[in-house]
Amino acid sequence: MKFLRPIAILAVIVGAIAVGMRFTAHHEGGIFQTLYMHLMPAPLVEVAQHGEHGEHGAHAEPLLKIPLPSALAAFDMDRKGHGHFLVATNLQVFQLAAVLLIFVCFLGVPRHLRNGGGDWTSRMFSGFAGWVRDEMVVPVMGKEVGNKLLPLFLTVFFFILFMNVMGLLPGAATATASIFVTGALALITFSTMVVGGMVVQGPIAFWKHLVPHVPLALWPLMFAVELVGLIVKPIALMIRLFANMTGGHLAVLSLMGLVFFFGGMSPTVGWASSPVAVGLAVFIMIIESFVALLQAYIFTTLSIIFVQASLHPEH
Amino acid sequence: MNIPVMNVLGLVQDTNVMDVAKMGAALGAGIVAIGAGIGIGRIGSAQNEGIARQPEAAAEIRGGSIILAALIEGVALIAVIVTLLIALGVKV
Repeated sequence: MKFLRPIAILAVIVGAIAVGMRFTAHHEGGIFQTLYMHLMPAPLVEVAQHGEHGEHGAHAEPLLKIPLPSALAAFDMDRKGHGHFLVATNLQVFQLAAVLLIFVCFLGVPRHLRNGGGDWTSRMFSGFAGWVRDEMVVPVMGKEVGNKLLPLFLTVFFFILFMNVMGLLPGAATATASIFVTGALALITFSTMVVGGMVVQGPIAFWKHLVPHVPLALWPLMFAVELVGLIVKPIALMIRLFANMTGGHLAVLSLMGLVFFFGGMSPTVGWASSPVAVGLAVFIMIIESFVALLQAYIFTTLSIIFVQASLHPEH
Repeated sequence: MNIPVMNVLGLVQDTNVMDVAKMGAALGAGIVAIGAGIGIGRIGSAQNEGIARQPEAAAEIRGGSIILAALIEGVALIAVIVTLLIALGVKV
């Protein structure tokens, strides 16, 4: 009973990795291309039976295909086929696993906060949740507004955190290393900024208060500048998370590719260079596991600051 | 499309526009590293000075400087993405 929750957490993570590896196609080609393709979101395809399909080059049919209108062609994932389709990739597996992990980790937290019961996993995660409330949300937003918006920021923080950390495991895909996933998260922040500001200040007063007190002649110019500033903030959030997660993986990939690059010259050089390359890759991996925690913190903190700034403009 | 100026210099034969664009992207990535390094280095030095003067405010100073470093990092990463788009020749 004591170990039920940790076992459930492990089962979710291992299950997500197993599903992700089973339903994605294996990439053929040079070793560097094979490594590189692990950075790309791979569509979930039906498991090919042996002998039924052709050897290579057979375009495996995706598991889940949703037709898209041609206006949304930028989201087309199935570029080889005809028409525009939304295809389920292995990133969605890890997004669902992150949601499941949130449920598993936090179901015991309210009971622990009420009467102090619960196993050690609940104690640990209620400590994390208390830290997010006391150190991140309440100092910026204050108690009243902060407690209203706390569930949103808790969810965003732990959703990003679980996706980042699961992406470090072997065989897993990093969902936050896709600009579409981070874009959707940034869109949540953006809509909270605009809708929250319009609810708190009034629908017209929000757009009026966007511009600080300036001479009337400058007003149209300043309005355009502030409008761009409003839109650039979530875009910067989106690109920061995406580039940090992709950049770490790319650095590890480059160092591992160095071994095979030197190994292509002569096997001796490859063996000689491998300790250096693997050592550097381990070093980058240590930095990356810190960055995975830090970026979840940064995304949430900046969301809190941006939302607070649009709820209550400076006078 | 050849660029005559590069050929006159005698440095590069058969240069085309994409090669020059890739060189620009590489230079851009280097300049971004310089700018972000100066910015984050200044934040780090100010943070250390601040903590040395007032050790009791260490937690607040550290939190603030992480956020400021993240803002600079965001600008640097946007520039890196732009250089990556140029280097890969993505048509926007």
